[in-house]
Amino acid sequence: MAELTAFGYHPGDSVLHRLDPRFKLVCLIATSLTVLDSGMAALGLWSAACAILLVKTGVSMPRLLRELRYFGVLILFVFVARAFSAGGDPLVRFWGIGPSRQGMMEGALVGWRLGLVVLLGLSLMATTRSWQVKAAVESLLRPVPFIPHKRAATMIGLLFRFIPQILSAARETADAQKARGIGNRRNPVFRLVKLAVPLLRKTFLDADRLAAAMEARCYTEDRSTPPLSAAAGDWSFLAAVCALSAVAWVLSRL
Amino acid sequence: MNILEADRLSHRFPDGSMGIHEIGLTLRKGSFTVLAGPNGSGKTTFLRHLNGLLMPTSGEVRIKGVPVREDPRRARRLVGMVFQDADSQIVGETVYDDAAFGPENLKLDRREIHRRVLAALDAVGMSGLAGQRPHLLSGGEKRRLAIAGILAMGSEVVILDEPFSNLDYPGVRQVLGAILDLHSRGRTILLSTHDLEKTIAHADRLLLMEKGRIVADGRPGAVLGQTERYGVRRPCAVRWGRAVESWLN
Repeated sequence: MAELTAFGYHPGDSVLHRLDPRFKLVCLIATSLTVLDSGMAALGLWSAACAILLVKTGVSMPRLLRELRYFGVLILFVFVARAFSAGGDPLVRFWGIGPSRQGMMEGALVGWRLGLVVLLGLSLMATTRSWQVKAAVESLLRPVPFIPHKRAATMIGLLFRFIPQILSAARETADAQKARGIGNRRNPVFRLVKLAVPLLRKTFLDADRLAAAMEARCYTEDRSTPPLSAAAGDWSFLAAVCALSAVAWVLSRL
Repeated sequence: MNILEADRLSHRFPDGSMGIHEIGLTLRKGSFTVLAGPNGSGKTTFLRHLNGLLMPTSGEVRIKGVPVREDPRRARRLVGMVFQDADSQIVGETVYDDAAFGPENLKLDRREIHRRVLAALDAVGMSGLAGQRPHLLSGGEKRRLAIAGILAMGSEVVILDEPFSNLDYPGVRQVLGAILDLHSRGRTILLSTHDLEKTIAHADRLLLMEKGRIVADGRPGAVLGQTERYGVRRPCAVRWGRAVESWLN
């Protein structure tokens, strides 16, 4: 477990590390919604901003891209599906169907948006401790009626804690299976089942062990976590994100 | 003075099998006890009763005279536990956060948490690693971090379940040094293992478990002769008729 996945907290002192987690969450939600409605020019702007922030966090970009390769397959699938189904003038035809220029543009746009939302989420994960996520969710949900904010915040905080561990376990299991020649089996369903069963078993066992370790250390939902406090820098960051969103909105409608 | 008492402790699992059977045990404050037994002998099941992670089917555990069942939270504060798998008990994203996890659950104020965390990390020689990601630590450092985590809670009894498993020689020495340091500061130590070689030179009592029962209990010199009958190898030095040496020498 010495080498962790890129999905997880990376200690540092970047702008994102120093931001109040409530502001980070609000900015992430607002930015993601804007990105999903952005055109090519606006996406270029968002991508540049996201790349700068990610580089500043200290996360290794080549490693991040390597670990996102499976998500890349999903984006490719979306691109191909859009290219063939969006209508317009086909560039080439095979048995009556073919990718259209409009479909390819649309597919590229959707893939870009999805990829950017994932990168934005990763920048939050890389710079926010799970207790900060818990505290932020708790604080933001407190005014919402009928939602047990402490429980919801605990669940989301634990989810953040567990994602890197599950990915690390998946890598270990996959390596162990490669060492036993799983590469010779071409059936993807067989390979998926052989990966999923031990991975799920290990994940549940780890969850059980972690729960026991937390219980042994008197875990409770009502803990004395460090207080959150918004500073001028947090408001400035929020203002910058709002300004960027406004520019992106205008660019998307030109 | 006894700090921990287990009285006719039995645990039956949901499938009907017995985990432990009629265990009676008292631990003197400040003692260093080694609990040995082969895999599956019930060591971990027994240890998990001592801070209320498991509740007995019958019998009772008392910490400083108060039954664990009455106040499990108090028991967990007084009886800290280091688990066998160091990775699965890491909760924080940094060494500091992980050591602070217990005191935060006790709802201490931030200044007191900070003081305790620094003192605990210092006690296990990890002050310089406070900002480090715990998963990047070596095996020995992870165990020492787990010990710091329970030190920061102010635990008086420290239970260590197979603390040397998967550790290399330097790792064993680091962890053993930290355990002996705790003991010298008055903590009561209960350490489970199936490998007596590394610890028995420092223990003042040896318990042997087999099939959920304590089958031998006494000073190490008196019990070592029986260990192989119960599936635990005697230390090499004992086999050669010599005194067992510390791994720190």
